[in-house]
Amino acid sequence: MGLAIIGYDASRGQLRDTYDKMRERPLPPVYRPSHGGAPGIITAHSLDPALIPRVFTTSSTLNGAGPLSWPERELINATTSRLNQCFY
Amino acid sequence: MALDDDTLPRALIADPRTADTGLPRRQALLELAILVTAEPWTLSRHKLKQWHDAGLTDDDVLHGVALASYFGHLNRIADATAVPLDYEVRHTPAHADPSTPPWPEAAKLVTGRAAIDIASRPATAAALTEWKTYMFHRDAPLTRRQRTLIVRHVASWLGDGGISSPADLTANTLDDALRALARTVTLAPWQLGDASYADLRAAGFDDTMLFDVVATATTAGVSSRIAVALAALAT
Repeated sequence: MGLAIIGYDASRGQLRDTYDKMRERPLPPVYRPSHGGAPGIITAHSLDPALIPRVFTTSSTLNGAGPLSWPERELINATTSRLNQCFY
Repeated sequence: MALDDDTLPRALIADPRTADTGLPRRQALLELAILVTAEPWTLSRHKLKQWHDAGLTDDDVLHGVALASYFGHLNRIADATAVPLDYEVRHTPAHADPSTPPWPEAAKLVTGRAAIDIASRPATAAALTEWKTYMFHRDAPLTRRQRTLIVRHVASWLGDGGISSPADLTANTLDDALRALARTVTLAPWQLGDASYADLRAAGFDDTMLFDVVATATTAGVSSRIAVALAALAT
């Protein structure tokens, strides 16, 4: 059991606005969840809505840019996740 | 070996430390991710030279250090909230093993000038500054002092000699519980669970406050991991 997560349907106010803005970000289809809502890793930050744009702006500068290629970035991300024993 | 066939993903899931990526450049990136994640204070000028020889530029190394550090934040937030997997994957990794020992604490504090200046990635540097300012310089739900305590402990565990020691702060009754949760977040995120939050819940912390503890620790982890790695590469 983890800390609470507020999903899109239950979101209101600043959190709903943030989710809507995050949906407008360019994102490769492979990263879009099939449920059509906000990706789980974004909703995982739901208890601090103001943190979400700060974290994912940083992500855009790292996962959406070089010099490392996309496969090389995925190699680093996957390695980090595996070492931390995290499925994400 | 192509990165889009199944061999490398399976090898990474089995054990990144023994995975063969098939190319020196990729092998260097794999090693970088492992060392930045597990023990960034062990990096060195010699290691940077090896990575250069494998084909990585300073810009590649900086990108890799920042990316591995950043992804460690996402891992920890995912663990803290137990967020369900909501996208398709070809290979599902094994469940976390809570009996795995924590990462070691830094054997030394790293100080000095960075081998590579993060300012050479200005968009990343600006985004990280904005993120850290938000997390470290506010007074709710955690107090400023509680944030400072967490930041200093995380820095000490990761070997960040640029941050003051937590021992310099006057003791407070909640310090031990804050330290314990921040330590699990930083050194053993796979152990996060109800027991990790019990002491602070008993002290009146709700989920929003607990998330603030976790996010302060993960943000400090990103910041210190980058600082330590880049400084250690100059030693």
